[in-house]
Amino acid sequence: MKFKESDVLLKIRDLKIQGYSDETWVDIIKGVDLTLHRGEVMGLIGESGAGKSTIGAAAMGYARDGTRIVEGSSIEFDGMELTNASEADKRALRGSRIAYVAQSAAASFNPAHKLIDQHTEAPVQYRIKKRLEAQEDAIELYERLRLPNPQEIGFRYPHQVSGGQLQRAMTAMAMSCRPDMIIFDEPTTALDVTTQIEVLAAIRDIVDQFNTAAIYITHDLAVVAQMADTIKVLLKGEEVEEAPTDQMLSNPKEDYTKSLWAVRSFTVEQKARPKDSVPLISIKNVDASYSNGPKILDDVSFDIYEGMTVAVVGESGSGKSTTARVITGLLPPSKGEVLFKGEPFPPSYKDRTKDQLRQCQMIYQMADTALNPKVQISEIIGRPAQFYSGLKGTALKNRVDELLDLIELEPAKYYNRFPPELSGGQKQRIGIARALAAEPSFIVCDEVTSALDQLVAEGILRLLDRLQKELNLAYMFITHDLATVRSIADEVVVMQNGQVVEQGPKDDMFTPPHHPYTDLLLSSVPEMDPNWLTTLLEERGIDNIGDAAMANIDPDDEKVEGTQV
Amino acid sequence: MSFFVVGYYALLLVTSCLAAYFNQRQAFLVLFSLTLVSFVLGIVGGVPALRAVATCAGLLLFAGMIAYAFREFLIYLSSDDMGKELRTAPLTAAFGMFVIFTYAIMGIFAPWIAPHGEAEVISSAFAPADENMLLGADQLGRDMFSRIVFGARNTVALALVGTTLAFILGAMAGLLAATKGGFFDGVMGRTADVIMSIPSLIFALLMLSIFGGSLAAPSTSFWLLTGFFCVVGLLFLAAAAEGAMGWLIGAAIAVGVAVGLALFGTSIFNASEVILILVVAIIYSPRVYRLTRAVAGNVVVMDYIEAAKLRGEGNWYLIRREILPNSTAPLIAEFGLEFCFVFLLIAGLSFLGLGIQPPTADWGSMVRENATLISFGDITPLIPAGAIALLTVAVNFVVDWMLHRSSGLKE
Repeated sequence: MKFKESDVLLKIRDLKIQGYSDETWVDIIKGVDLTLHRGEVMGLIGESGAGKSTIGAAAMGYARDGTRIVEGSSIEFDGMELTNASEADKRALRGSRIAYVAQSAAASFNPAHKLIDQHTEAPVQYRIKKRLEAQEDAIELYERLRLPNPQEIGFRYPHQVSGGQLQRAMTAMAMSCRPDMIIFDEPTTALDVTTQIEVLAAIRDIVDQFNTAAIYITHDLAVVAQMADTIKVLLKGEEVEEAPTDQMLSNPKEDYTKSLWAVRSFTVEQKARPKDSVPLISIKNVDASYSNGPKILDDVSFDIYEGMTVAVVGESGSGKSTTARVITGLLPPSKGEVLFKGEPFPPSYKDRTKDQLRQCQMIYQMADTALNPKVQISEIIGRPAQFYSGLKGTALKNRVDELLDLIELEPAKYYNRFPPELSGGQKQRIGIARALAAEPSFIVCDEVTSALDQLVAEGILRLLDRLQKELNLAYMFITHDLATVRSIADEVVVMQNGQVVEQGPKDDMFTPPHHPYTDLLLSSVPEMDPNWLTTLLEERGIDNIGDAAMANIDPDDEKVEGTQV
Repeated sequence: MSFFVVGYYALLLVTSCLAAYFNQRQAFLVLFSLTLVSFVLGIVGGVPALRAVATCAGLLLFAGMIAYAFREFLIYLSSDDMGKELRTAPLTAAFGMFVIFTYAIMGIFAPWIAPHGEAEVISSAFAPADENMLLGADQLGRDMFSRIVFGARNTVALALVGTTLAFILGAMAGLLAATKGGFFDGVMGRTADVIMSIPSLIFALLMLSIFGGSLAAPSTSFWLLTGFFCVVGLLFLAAAAEGAMGWLIGAAIAVGVAVGLALFGTSIFNASEVILILVVAIIYSPRVYRLTRAVAGNVVVMDYIEAAKLRGEGNWYLIRREILPNSTAPLIAEFGLEFCFVFLLIAGLSFLGLGIQPPTADWGSMVRENATLISFGDITPLIPAGAIALLTVAVNFVVDWMLHRSSGLKE
């Protein structure tokens, strides 16, 4: 062990937390022990509902509304027992000695104040520093976190700064009082891979420099492998195992941990384009923009063949979802057209016939908002069948049962339920069933797995793959997660700033030489190797990742010249 | 030191000590502070003050017990799901439901409950209460209690119908505006702005002095009512009809239904009441419109609406199956609130002499007619006023509970 026994900062013993639901108290955390030393970074990993964030909050002595820490639990922070400390004592710790970095920096900053004013709030409040000193310190921290324009960036409002920069500004804010411990609650989950890597590098450096202890909560194994000294795996409020990172990665002991590791090994055999056939969907030189705004899509064209999966990758704002909206007809293109089996599709969905609408279905990213919470599952799935095929009565019920069977949910159990009673993965399955009910030949999958845990996401991917084989469906798979692409895609289209940068069969795309942007995307995907980030930073140089690297793309590169207009 | 005073203090002290012993913090604080206040009150106001406090406490306790028993009664009667919902109702909401229930019974069975007719003169003016007249007589010698009972029927029915019409018009327009957007939304919004920019009481006075009061003729009221229903029908058509054929057939049906409803309306209410209802519906529909549009506006941007649109669903299905179920909770709460406002507006108009025409009993006009009595220290004019207040408070109790439920921590 590299940490000494005397350096224990946080000691949690037998932590039990209960939540109030259905008029009874239910255990959320069922007796977890945790020991964190000074300067140690501990990764908490597990599915959603495993209690990661709840433990993170409990480390500050905080229980959310509707939850309570059960008596007998002990949370000892630097010799101080937090479970029976007064609210005032706990408040004095928070912000000054324990800091918190939330998942969505955009939602956590107050949009009405400048970054630096929010940064200096804590040190001024605790009378650690005068306002001007605190501002100087903020600028220094911004510099250390490699934010562009550190002198000036703090004087902007949160909406004037990009997501990755905001997340780093938030880390800087957490550092403002030089706390002993920081809790990172999924700080990079909402970010693109290219941005994520900047934030990861910044967080790791600053935690090292100030010897701060940290609890790093995430569901992404590869990320935690870069950040943590020790990893603790949680399942349904209980600890599965805990071990130093190297050991955990090379030699997991419990079955559950092994299954988490195994997820990344799912791959589908790559299919080739059928010969001499017309593409099912063909997008030809499409330009599109939202109500006279700037061009979102610029001369996009690619083909999707029957029974194949085309993955469209790129970071947010690259026009992936807009392409899907053009295909479905929600956004008529300003130039170019969409062909379906060689026939042009009417540009707006309003002008399409029922049969044309039926052919092309969509599965959404957020199953929560994609299913009407006030409508029963039977109607959600049954409606398309009723609408397109005119099924009624028993025939309709049989069709719904058949569809529920197809998505591996027991019909009798789910027939009369409402969406809020289902888990995230089940909801996504219902979304798939709704798309299938129309008997389409083509489905747009818009980030279908990014809101799900890895194990659940893998289940969905396997399901989609099985359905493709059985029903000969074509998928357009929009994602920013290259691991998903690697496992399910046949062809890959890389998009950047509304243009197709590179496209081709998957195997070609994953073997060099790449377009520099593709290269940047590929190299930014975290790998399970704990030294991956270190190696990468050495290879590329600290200033050649993320946005900085994007600016560095050489316009004279031969691979680039073909695509720039 | 009378027996009452000794008993009063003894009871307070014993209960507060018990509360303290059983660790009931809140109860103890209330009881003991009441004891301390009573010491002062007893010295300043003497025994009558203590009696008043005791009566108030007794009434509160009584209301609480009724509310509790009524809630248990409802839970016992209703199905399991409904019972689970009712269990979450606080005592105030149960009390509100009890009051509404009582008023409903009173209004529906008025001719059987009231001992005398609403226009029947049975004694001298302002006669005091006796065994024949529970609450005494009014300025013409009519039985006050009977008039209160009949008034429940007239005033509440008018307010209910007026609010319902305002809701049908406003909610339909709001839902359509949210789904269609664009030009239609703009036109509806500006129309609503125009109506809302005129103070409601002045607008009502204006409309009533043109059409209403003693000038109201049955034919005018019939045509106005038909016109109103035609506008509502047009909104429904705009949502449901597809293609020229659909519009034609729909228009024919809508006109037929409108005439039918207008005939029905004029047969229940007399001419001046119909005008009053229409005025109320027009004044309150813009508020409903704005709320509905805002609520529905949040719903139409959801992915499931997009999915339904991509499926090729028409506006009518979108409104009926996708948007409306997700906006009912705030609309129901708003209905309760608007009902109170409408009720007060009608009472106010009657008080001014422009609402329900005599000799029809109406709480608002009853207050005005008996207002002179207040200078003699008689509480008679306060009785109808109290009836109005009790109903508004009761409705608001229920609405509070519903609002809490719809905005609460329910997934």
